[in-house]
Amino acid sequence: MREQDAYKDLSDLFMVEDNALPAQPFTRQVMSRVRQQKMMRRFVVGGLGLAGAGVAALQLPQLLADWVGVDKTVTEALTTAPTELGAAAVSQISAAALGNPMWLAIAAGAALCVFAVSTIERA
Amino acid sequence: MRSDPDLAHAAARGNEASFAELVRRHQGKVRGMARRLTGSEAQGDDIAQATFLTAWQKIATYAGGTFSSWICTICWREFLQWRRRQKMEIEFDETAEIIPFDRSADQHEMRMDLTRALESLSEAQRVCVVLCVATGLTHQEAAEVTGWPLGTVKSHVLRGVALLRTRLENANVA
Repeated sequence: MREQDAYKDLSDLFMVEDNALPAQPFTRQVMSRVRQQKMMRRFVVGGLGLAGAGVAALQLPQLLADWVGVDKTVTEALTTAPTELGAAAVSQISAAALGNPMWLAIAAGAALCVFAVSTIERA
Repeated sequence: MRSDPDLAHAAARGNEASFAELVRRHQGKVRGMARRLTGSEAQGDDIAQATFLTAWQKIATYAGGTFSSWICTICWREFLQWRRRQKMEIEFDETAEIIPFDRSADQHEMRMDLTRALESLSEAQRVCVVLCVATGLTHQEAAEVTGWPLGTVKSHVLRGVALLRTRLENANVA
């Protein structure tokens, strides 16, 4: 026997009371408050989102200027690098690389690091 | 007819109609519980409304199981918060006094025998009877909702039901 069966008669009496409560007005009231809450949430989240977008938009000109600066720095570095390396230096490196290919790998790694640093550094 | 967990999952995805259906299905039980716990129709309905609003906010945390038990747990917490706001700090124990409700004599006269009999129980007995007998939770569920030991809940239900029957019989005789 289930524990509830011992007082089913009383449970039925309470159930009659509960079922007599009109559901429609209460449900309507709850749902209108749910919608109000949802609207308020949308308003707050949307408002904060718009404010954030506004702040981001204000920062855009500065960001673009910095990006152009980085681009210029990288381009200059790439174009001036070969001219700075003298033909003698190039031949020495070539000779060293031919003698031991490990030097070529070290040089490639160093170049990659310089490139990475120049990309990250936006000054 | 869609099951409660189905409706709850749809509501968690933002479907208001599903949540409205859940409110319609469970409003009687929750309002009855809140009214009986507070002893006031208006305050009980306020608590029931707060219960469903909290349920809407936390519907995504409903992890299956009995929806009644889940919603009754929220109702119980809302009731405790309401009581704290009312600054009625009453310890739940077996020797607790009967707490009289503040209502006019005219209103009291209009109460049904059942409600009057319920109000004559100690608060701990009333809580257990409301949860298990009126709301239909199992003893285990009521123990989980209130955080009281299972044995305590069983004993309060047993004594509460016996007292309730006596009061109802006396009312019928008189």
